[in-house]
Amino acid sequence: MYLSRTAGKTTALLAILALAAAACGSSTASTTNTTTPTTAGGPATTATGTGGACISPAGATGPGVGATTIGFIYVGSTSDFGYNQAAHAGSDQLKAACPNIKILEAASIPETSDMVTAAEQMIGQGAKIIFSTSYGYKDYAVTLAGKHPDVAFLQQGNLITPPVGPNINTYFGDVWQTVYLGGIAAAKATKSNKLGFIAAFPIPQTLLNVDAFELGAQSVNPAVTTTVDFTGAWCDPAKQADATNSLIGGGADVISQHQDCTSTIIKTAESKGAYTVGYHYDAQSLAPQGWLTGSEWQWGPLYTSMVKSILAGTFTGGKFNTNYTAGFTSTDVASPLALAPFGPSVTQATKDLITAAKAKILSGTSPYTGPITDQSGTVRIAAGQTATADQLSSLCYLVKGVVGTVPACK
Amino acid sequence: MTPVLALFTPKGQHNYGLIISILIGAVAGGTSILWAALGETISERAGVINVGTEGCMLVGCLAAFATAVKTGNPWYGVVTGAAAGAALAAVHAWMVVYRKANQLATGLVVFFLAIGITDLYGTSYVSSEVHGFKNLAIPGLSKIPWIGPILFNHDPLVYLAYVATPAIWWFLFRSRWGLLIRTAGEKPESLVAYGLSPAKIRTLSVIAGGALAGVGGAQLSTAVALSWAENMTVGRGFIAVALVIFAAWEPMKVMAGAFLFGAAITLGSQLQVHGYKVNQFLLDALPYLVTIIVLVALARKRKNAAPEALGMSL
Amino acid sequence: MTAPVVTPPETPTVAEPPAEPENPYGRFGPLVKWRPTTKTARSAGRILLAYLAALVIFGAFVALRHINPLSMYHSIWTSTITNRYGFGQVLVRTSPFILAALAVSVPARAGLINIGGEGQLVVGATAAGGVALALGTHVTGFPALLLMALAGMAAGALWAGLAAVLKLAGNVSEAISTLLLNYIGADVLAYLVYGPWKDKSGNGQPASKPLPKADYLPTIGILKAHAGIIIALVAVIVVAWAMNRTKWGFALKVVGGNPEAGRRSGLAVAGLTLSAMLVGGALAGLGGMVQFSGLEGQLRPGLAATYGYLGFLASWLARHRPYRVALAALLIGAISVAGNSLELSSHLPGGAVDVLMALVLLAVLSQKQAVKA
Repeated sequence: MYLSRTAGKTTALLAILALAAAACGSSTASTTNTTTPTTAGGPATTATGTGGACISPAGATGPGVGATTIGFIYVGSTSDFGYNQAAHAGSDQLKAACPNIKILEAASIPETSDMVTAAEQMIGQGAKIIFSTSYGYKDYAVTLAGKHPDVAFLQQGNLITPPVGPNINTYFGDVWQTVYLGGIAAAKATKSNKLGFIAAFPIPQTLLNVDAFELGAQSVNPAVTTTVDFTGAWCDPAKQADATNSLIGGGADVISQHQDCTSTIIKTAESKGAYTVGYHYDAQSLAPQGWLTGSEWQWGPLYTSMVKSILAGTFTGGKFNTNYTAGFTSTDVASPLALAPFGPSVTQATKDLITAAKAKILSGTSPYTGPITDQSGTVRIAAGQTATADQLSSLCYLVKGVVGTVPACK
Repeated sequence: MTPVLALFTPKGQHNYGLIISILIGAVAGGTSILWAALGETISERAGVINVGTEGCMLVGCLAAFATAVKTGNPWYGVVTGAAAGAALAAVHAWMVVYRKANQLATGLVVFFLAIGITDLYGTSYVSSEVHGFKNLAIPGLSKIPWIGPILFNHDPLVYLAYVATPAIWWFLFRSRWGLLIRTAGEKPESLVAYGLSPAKIRTLSVIAGGALAGVGGAQLSTAVALSWAENMTVGRGFIAVALVIFAAWEPMKVMAGAFLFGAAITLGSQLQVHGYKVNQFLLDALPYLVTIIVLVALARKRKNAAPEALGMSL
Repeated sequence: MTAPVVTPPETPTVAEPPAEPENPYGRFGPLVKWRPTTKTARSAGRILLAYLAALVIFGAFVALRHINPLSMYHSIWTSTITNRYGFGQVLVRTSPFILAALAVSVPARAGLINIGGEGQLVVGATAAGGVALALGTHVTGFPALLLMALAGMAAGALWAGLAAVLKLAGNVSEAISTLLLNYIGADVLAYLVYGPWKDKSGNGQPASKPLPKADYLPTIGILKAHAGIIIALVAVIVVAWAMNRTKWGFALKVVGGNPEAGRRSGLAVAGLTLSAMLVGGALAGLGGMVQFSGLEGQLRPGLAATYGYLGFLASWLARHRPYRVALAALLIGAISVAGNSLELSSHLPGGAVDVLMALVLLAVLSQKQAVKA
């Protein structure tokens, strides 16, 4: 082939250099510390098991058994003060509970085949358990699970239908349950009867939250409407500020959100004197006046339980080897979600309403119990019926009382 | 009330009609782009395209935010934001002026460098609290109906941009320095005849441009968003580069263009908030469509506006 | 390439167009053109130094974070070159990079700056995905792949052709219009996968129906990569041939050197501009089809993001010479795959790979060229 003066020759030179570096480097083993301190106020290391080593018992068999290395793949920055940081905090708690386990992390991996590359490299480095923490990784995780029967895949954010192989599960928290409770707080706080919700894209997880927020609000004040603003970005702080200002300018006095990075919206709302219902994190420190409550991820206990189940060889056929969603009703492991602490303006009467609603959910009455009608008035869930997990995971409409537009759906 | 009038009419305390709301958002959201585009105007007038303006904004965002967090004073942040933008632009200048590297390719590489550096050093600032710029209503002026809220109830860096834009126009077109800069972009060889170094003039212009882009970044992080997030400029610097061409390398037109772009960005939110049925994806594409349409509409006027030696090595 | 190096007698002034004092590149013979002169040796030394500088700076950079640079470079090396899966991944990434880079090289020959490989790639993948949806299981295998490729090329050509039309009829700089069309292309894809093309049985996620297994590009076992790399290399050869051996390639070069001279010598400048952009767009569109049918199999938002920009850089690194483009794309592909190893083995943040990429590219770009690119 033609050796060019620049690209060709220089590539060859680079190769030689790299070879030299490799030769020198092979004698020095890499001993870097994997644990990074949690930068935001994630839940402190709550009791996650007994601590100590996490080792497979002799004779255990199954996917992921004997794992000493675990990989985490995130779709965004692990310091986004939001979804990915919450998942990363969960990995830190897992690390604290299982100090003998080595954790590999790959952040900002897009929901494309790049995820497969990252996972394969982790497996190449000995990972036998892979946490695939974004909903868009699902199809890749399923394919990978087929290819690597000895590796356990934990797919976060959605459900797989039809269910799963012996070495993969899907799990998520029914975060719309806490969002519903936040809607109650919002409806009790609003004076204009207008709530604002900043979203990114019309995916089911987001629409579930928007609808639950409005349903919660309606449950205590039927006159309340929620205006949803889709920004078309998971983290564009300037757009978030603009959307917050627009919503407040349009009369909304409580702002909530489903974004990956969350602080701009909360700070902007606070500076405009509006109330905030948070998401992903307890961010009361950002809005000491306007904070009402919020939804908060606490993944650590669930991650630890799942890993211990895998190591014990009880994953296949076990309770996690399925479509596993944990809401308030899950009693067998700590729920991955919590209602964040209340802000100063939330009255005792409101707190009581929320406690009652939570008790109702705990007793098994879903907020998605009919009649639920969409914006056009079509009944989506008939009176007396409760939405199935499948209906929820593919929800594509906005309920009556939400102002906003989503693509037409069945 | 006629529906048209309703678009302008305030309802309630914070509540402006649709058009007024869009214009307020246009100024607030367009200013960071304006600063970056003013910087790019100086750079391109001197003959250097800096696509790395996006990167200069991004390092400006982080440097300004970090400084504001550490010192509690966002004005120090503006200074370090400008310095960071200038430092990154100096890399671009060195590459394209002294190493004669291709300007577009180098600019893109400079952008990658900024993405990487800010990701490495920005992590610890994601959850930081900042005392950023606050909106200051200008007494008297902010009370003017319609005009007041649109133009005179913003953060100080917006007002500074109102002053900087004509000042940069004056600097480029009425000062001796401006003449030298424009000559470096039109006929650099003629500077040599006068014993001047076009290389130095180009270098300084690119660095000055990077500093202004850094100020734009500072406005984004310490006045608009009040936070730092990875890659938070999301293409605004690229928009600024397109805008300079669109505005025929003239600062006053750059300002108009930046606010038009700001309007296109905020339009989606405003329409959704005002209850219009919209296609989200069409709205997301709108700023870029608008730019293309304006470029076509103004093509005839712009024909000979480009600096003659723009993009060319010395 | 084992044949002894034959040094041809140098007659550098014969039959050279004055604008381009260097020999026409990419000729098939002599295959190796290495002149062991002091000048070459010195330039090789400079290049070596530049690379070394980039690697040393990055090494110092990671050393500041208490990471051993040598073990970092070692793990980059093993994960991209000596590991077969890693090398396969490098090839898989290199394929669309090559095609996206050629999409820049062809218009560049005519003096046009195509920053739109990104958008052309995306609409190419979108069109290929659309064809796959339309065909369903009625047409599969090779005919389906062929139709997807044609659709991808047509869509890419359309996207680039828009920029050409805007330039010819509207006097809009193609550098700007192609850049803006990137964003619009991404929005078109997003609109389709969130709306009409969303897989009804896919749990509401923004993704199109998966491509049937039979419609994927075949995998080349020994390389652990799909056939996209073959398509890309064939494209390199065809482009090199078209640039250097056809009247069209020569005419592009004349127009690129001096449009006025071209016009005076009777060349249809508008037609050539249009054709260069169309061919460039078609190549990027083919890259999108390769990415879709070789790897992704489903349309999703953000598909192939930044691939077009990296291809742009590959083309400039290689001064738009087709064979060098392939090498430059390989280098960029290797660095982008190395990013994972930086995170996994050296525990550097994701942004580290961008710094490494930038430093290496700056080192290459900072090499002064004898010829204006």
